[in-house]
Amino acid sequence: MQIKPILAAMRHHKAGTVLIALQIALTLAIVCNALFIIHQRMARMARPSGVEETNLFVIRSDWADKSDPQRIDVQMQADLIALRQLGSVQDAAPANSFPLHGTGWDNFIKLQPDQVKMTTDSAIYFSDDHTLATLGTHLIAGRNFTASEIGAQQPRDAMHSAQVIISKDLAQRLYPDGSALGKTIYVSMGNKPSTVIGVTDTLQAHMVGSWAGPYAYNAVLVPARLLNDYTYYLVRARPSQLAAALRDAPKALYAQSRMRIIDRKDGVMTFAQVRQHAYERDVGMAILMGIISVVLLAITAAGIVGLTSFWVGQRRKQIGVRRALGATRGDILNYFLTENLLIGIGGVLVGAVLAIGINLWMVTQFEMARLSLGYVVVGVIALLLLGQGAVLAPALRASHVSPVEATRSV
Amino acid sequence: MLKMTHLSKVYRTEVVETYALRDFNIDVKEGEFVAVTGPSGSGKTTFLTIAGLLETFSGGEYHLDGIEVSNLNDNARSKIRNEKIGFIFQAFNLIPDLNVFDNIEVPLRYRGMKAAERKQRIMDSLERVGLASRAKHYPAELSGGQQQRVAIARALAGSPRLLLADEPTGNLDTQMARSVLELLEDIHREGATIVMVTHDPELAARAQRNVHIIDGQVVDLSEDPRFHTVHAEHTGTTA
Repeated sequence: MQIKPILAAMRHHKAGTVLIALQIALTLAIVCNALFIIHQRMARMARPSGVEETNLFVIRSDWADKSDPQRIDVQMQADLIALRQLGSVQDAAPANSFPLHGTGWDNFIKLQPDQVKMTTDSAIYFSDDHTLATLGTHLIAGRNFTASEIGAQQPRDAMHSAQVIISKDLAQRLYPDGSALGKTIYVSMGNKPSTVIGVTDTLQAHMVGSWAGPYAYNAVLVPARLLNDYTYYLVRARPSQLAAALRDAPKALYAQSRMRIIDRKDGVMTFAQVRQHAYERDVGMAILMGIISVVLLAITAAGIVGLTSFWVGQRRKQIGVRRALGATRGDILNYFLTENLLIGIGGVLVGAVLAIGINLWMVTQFEMARLSLGYVVVGVIALLLLGQGAVLAPALRASHVSPVEATRSV
Repeated sequence: MLKMTHLSKVYRTEVVETYALRDFNIDVKEGEFVAVTGPSGSGKTTFLTIAGLLETFSGGEYHLDGIEVSNLNDNARSKIRNEKIGFIFQAFNLIPDLNVFDNIEVPLRYRGMKAAERKQRIMDSLERVGLASRAKHYPAELSGGQQQRVAIARALAGSPRLLLADEPTGNLDTQMARSVLELLEDIHREGATIVMVTHDPELAARAQRNVHIIDGQVVDLSEDPRFHTVHAEHTGTTA
């Protein structure tokens, strides 16, 4: 290897060398973090909701007359009977919110009535005895609500229920050393106990923001219909009858009462649309980071091609002299590849430090996770390969410079 | 050492063929110091580039140190250039980014020589040209004569069988030219074979034998009427 003379020669091209090395360093630092963000977002989007999403859809019904909660309750019960009677519908349930919805109720969960600090936070799903079947979520312990246990409450009423069903993750959070079944918990700041009568398999909370990470799978199902200005109906279509159910369900609700508004645009959403809506920011961020990475890599590759092409043109006579002195085409190719590799190594060493530094800054500023060193290693290898790939064409051109160039006057 | 027989070099375009060398014959024996002279455009440099395997020829035969070189591939030609030929160029052709030591080291590295041997050869050749104290200097820090001495040291370091010099004093003033020429004469006395292309009659006169090229062919000066004219003019001027 002829590293020493290449390093010696590079000292005479400091500006170009340093600029390309810095470009590689910045590209590595940004691309590593961008890929890490992309991976994090994709991992978040790939999380299971705990719901059988196929054939599930959601209807939002805004009440035209909000003055009488009792009438709303009667209407809701009639609506549910009507929905469940549709041939294309397998089951239906009322809801204040649902997994991936983004908005809804979340409350402190305590284990003792006089506890000042919450044990954890959890999504609150107002449910009935059809909710689990409609969601396609299974119980792993205990029992479902019975029809007689289902009550109704207004948003401003103090929330209390003698029985609750909780998600598996919440159960493990509250009782890591044993079963939560039959235990007592306190929902919200109230002092009235609720007994855990059932534990579901994985069930995601409505919150999808990164802030809710620690509570993402905490859910409490309360046996009550929420008498709000609007309600959601979760509807499970029979297999292969989703299209019919999507068409039939709003008609059935309007047939029950026209004193409601079901928005034409997003009043009825399949769960696929709910998921898409929940993660559209993540998708946008992943695409943006992807574009930034591709553009940066392309600019860096173009920079390497440009600078090496310039150097080949500038050193044409020198290449001819080297060939005259006995360099083979392979030696010339090797010279430029080695030169580029040395610049690349300098760049990636600085870039690796920068990548970790930028990540540490984002960890403190944006509560991001720590960058895995695997990303830096992969980034380093990718940048070095990209550099070698980019330099190949001008280096091959250089290797074809004839030795007779040595005799030509410039 | 160097034998070309009926050698030709043709530059072809779509409409015209130009012969740079035509039916070119030359035989340089081992240990000779030959000056190749001729007017501009006569084919001197083409001869030198073919002799140094810097470019290929169109027809004929060329034997270098007993090897027929016409069918050699690029790598084999590079190897012969590296091991058997030392070049001295008019413009010195030192690499400006490398110091004197590293410049001389370039052909030795391509030969794959070990570092200790490289260093020994470099210092020996620098001693030979009287520039041992300038090993760490860059070409830009040396005079023209010193740069040409470094180029000669680079040519000598590889112990070549043949030294090819292209107007070696062309870029030097009289005093520097004289010292470089004396150095070449010393090297020749030590047994080197030197072929020097020049259009300087005074320089050519210092060589053992002169070969004159006109229109791409070696001519016998004693039979060429153009020589008599030139020679008469030269004699008249100096008389």
